[in-house]
Amino acid sequence: MSSIPWPFPSPGAFLGSLRAGALARVGRWARKRQGTDPATTKLRPGRVYILPTGVGIVFAIMVFVMLLGSMNYNNNLSFVLTFVLFGIGFISMHQCQRNLVGLELTFAGTEPVFAGQAMRFGIAVTNHSKSARCGLRLYREGLQSDIHDLQPGESKVFILAVPTEHRGWITLDRFGIRTLFPFELFRSWAWLHMDIRGLVFPRPAENPPEPPPTMVAHGHRQHDARGEEDFAGLRKYQEGDSPRHVAWKAYARSGQLLSKQFAGADTSSQWFDFDDIPVNDIEQRLSVLTRWVVDADRTLEDYGLRLPGTEFEPAHGETHRRACLETLALFETGTR
Amino acid sequence: MVRPRGTDGSLLRSLPWTLGALALSIAPHIPYLPIWITTAFFGCTIWRYTIEKRRRMLPSTWFRALLALICFLGVLATYSSISGVGPGSALLAVMASLKLLETRKRRDQFVLLFICIFLVMSSLLREQNLWSLPYMIISVIVIVTAWLRMSAAKSETATQSFSTGGRLLLYAAPLAVAMWIFFPRLATPFWSVPIDTGRATSGLSDTMSPGDISSLSLSNEVAFRVSFDGAIPQPRERYWRGLVLTRFNGRTWTGLEPSVSASAQQQIVVSGDPIAYEITLEPTRQQWVFALDMPMTWSLPKTFMGPQQQLARPVPIDQRIAYKAVSYPEYRVETEISGLYRDWFSSLPDNSNERTAELARQMRAEAGNDRDFIDAVLRKFHNEEFFYTLEPPPLGNDPVDRFLFETRRGFCEHYASAFSVMMRSVGIPSRIVLGYHGGEINPMGGHLIVRQSDAHAWTEVWLDGLGWYRIDPTAAVAPERIDYGASDAAFEGLGEAWGLSAPSQLLHKLSLTVDAINAKWNDWILGYGPDTQSRFMEWLGMQDPDWQKMMLTMIGLVAGLVMLISLMLALRYRAPAKDPAAILYRRFIRKTGLEPGIGETAERFARRAIQTNSLPPGLIMSVTAAYHDVRYGGADESALVRLRQAVGAIS
Repeated sequence: MSSIPWPFPSPGAFLGSLRAGALARVGRWARKRQGTDPATTKLRPGRVYILPTGVGIVFAIMVFVMLLGSMNYNNNLSFVLTFVLFGIGFISMHQCQRNLVGLELTFAGTEPVFAGQAMRFGIAVTNHSKSARCGLRLYREGLQSDIHDLQPGESKVFILAVPTEHRGWITLDRFGIRTLFPFELFRSWAWLHMDIRGLVFPRPAENPPEPPPTMVAHGHRQHDARGEEDFAGLRKYQEGDSPRHVAWKAYARSGQLLSKQFAGADTSSQWFDFDDIPVNDIEQRLSVLTRWVVDADRTLEDYGLRLPGTEFEPAHGETHRRACLETLALFETGTR
Repeated sequence: MVRPRGTDGSLLRSLPWTLGALALSIAPHIPYLPIWITTAFFGCTIWRYTIEKRRRMLPSTWFRALLALICFLGVLATYSSISGVGPGSALLAVMASLKLLETRKRRDQFVLLFICIFLVMSSLLREQNLWSLPYMIISVIVIVTAWLRMSAAKSETATQSFSTGGRLLLYAAPLAVAMWIFFPRLATPFWSVPIDTGRATSGLSDTMSPGDISSLSLSNEVAFRVSFDGAIPQPRERYWRGLVLTRFNGRTWTGLEPSVSASAQQQIVVSGDPIAYEITLEPTRQQWVFALDMPMTWSLPKTFMGPQQQLARPVPIDQRIAYKAVSYPEYRVETEISGLYRDWFSSLPDNSNERTAELARQMRAEAGNDRDFIDAVLRKFHNEEFFYTLEPPPLGNDPVDRFLFETRRGFCEHYASAFSVMMRSVGIPSRIVLGYHGGEINPMGGHLIVRQSDAHAWTEVWLDGLGWYRIDPTAAVAPERIDYGASDAAFEGLGEAWGLSAPSQLLHKLSLTVDAINAKWNDWILGYGPDTQSRFMEWLGMQDPDWQKMMLTMIGLVAGLVMLISLMLALRYRAPAKDPAAILYRRFIRKTGLEPGIGETAERFARRAIQTNSLPPGLIMSVTAAYHDVRYGGADESALVRLRQAVGAIS
């Protein structure tokens, strides 16, 4: 017997979709209302929103029941208790909103990651006021930062770790800061729309084909297995020079970084060519290239990268690696 | 196999406070709770704390379900009902104990704290004393602190949470006071659920068996307080009528359940001046309403007069109530008793107290008529060796016989019972009235205090042409008991016997002062009802106070207070004043038309500003140098002056 699918969504799912729809609409409205925020944004009172939490609603019902009970029994002390709790609820609403107003949020930068890793967006939150701000947390749909308190004058970097899937730019077009302080009866929050993006490199291939063989560029002589070359002199160290060629003795003497130069050196180097990879899919090719670049960078070999329309001469070092990976990340995405 | 893991100890910061809040809110219930619930609660508290401290496992779901079932059945068996404050608070206490055992997460404690609040509320429904308000405030502070501890950061100390909680309560206090004063009070309740019927009665007993208990406990507890509109009546007139007993089985006098009688009040014929007064009756958990003999009007709703001219309500009095009444000390109850009723009011069980009956018949024959017979009996009590004592010997079978012919020692109940039996023996209808007599005037408050020790029993006999007529046989034996009242008599005797006259006088004065404060507290705070409220509103200057006006005033006041508090909060959270150097430098930045980058130093910014040619390089350099001097040059006022000049020179 096969089960007949229930044609209607379950109440929970239905309510959930209603909530998501309402949130999306309110979000669009807030975006239109607030516009794009500068990289440093101070929270004005007008953009800090507040709603009761589930606990808050239960609390309100409880206070109402207590009010009915007090009225019925004309019990003046339970009136006192009821009104004190009501007062606490009311004050906590104001306190909750005040806990956010006046905070300053600044985009604190991010580091590129490989697809599949989490992009860690850092947002510095500064408390310029004379009172501590408690229980603050940044969030985006489906994820949230740790909770932090901010003492007067304190500034802390909140990390939003956004999971990544694809290479290219990942934007944090919207995030929020929220607090439940002091009693979790109210949730106060503000939405921010800063122009924030981070670069995602392609995911390095798991099982890449063998990289192309190391080639000897402009080698005049046969070099033996020991790889000895003729020493030609020293020049100032440039980024990308192999650490093996640094004249460490000279460095110890003079404190100046110098690279050894070899006449007719056999600079062993690899060329990674987009067109040479035996797979059809572009993304997979980029993935393989990324793997090769990462591995080559680790082995300290010089490597060059050839993509349709772009070419990086064989080189080494962080700048080179970064340039290669950036190009791979943005290949044919139409962005820079 | 995966070993089940214990708790992670993450609740250790908040759990002690939550447990403390629970203990504080359960404490006032302990005298009323069955002992097993109290034991279960404290057991669970200690158990749960140990689990958290030692990182043990919480008990399994099955075990908890079983425990829950047992506890629920236990409550049901103890109370045989689950409505009302008694079973309700027992259930809350049980729920708190069980919830403790499944409190895993931080947020589970919300349920516990909400239970705390309900427990505090139900303890207030049960009892309101002078200390109830401070105790409630302390409980609320602890609850609020526990609440804050739940979400507090690791670095936050308990003292900080405590002071945050206290601060928020301070903000909430004016709101609560304004709402308390102006929130309109209802004259009639929506529903009437008995608050607590589980507790033994604290006032008079419904039956009377003189001779069964060998001593009367002299409780100094206040039964009620009375404030008179006019002069306080003489002690001999202070008979506070309560319930009436009509049946005697040879040992015990019993009455009937209260019932409404339409004619009872019409039978009363009054003369003389009325006495108007207000009674604040402590909860008795009985249905009887006390009033000065004989009440004609009373302000208590749903209160009726029974066939024996006793006042009663359909539900037990489980809260302190205040009511106004008018009584006439001079009255007659004119009613014809014939046939069946006459027999009913003079019936005695066969073969009991036969010597008494014999004596009565003999005295009646000697006296000739009923009135002379009554006088003769009273004279007998007065002249012969009868003693008034609060510790009479026990009487056993045929207690009236034994009392009249052997022991001859007793208190009001013995005399009332013996007198009544003698009347009935010769066919004179009689009944026994239980109530209070006398009371002590509190000179501080100007009111009368009637205590449990003032409990009294007297008789009423029915005579042709007179109707029901009050006769107090105790007055014949111990006239001072009637002339001065029990409290005064007891007090004088005690003081002199111990030679402690002076210090005990002082102590007594002190207790009277506390009583006066208590009375005022009851009148104005605990008894702040519709009447008091409208009187207070009029005193405040409100014309014809009604609930709409009060509600509007309340809303206005609350709105004003909220604005004020909001302003205070805003001030708390405002940024500290910027230092003058920063303001000056900010002005310079604006003049350059550039925006400094994040982390850009003043020096770098100056270089960039020079490159853009926005301002003369000399000015930029002088401002930057002066700014550096202010910032890093030590506490030198002149640097700030230079900065001001440099910035001033730009425009």
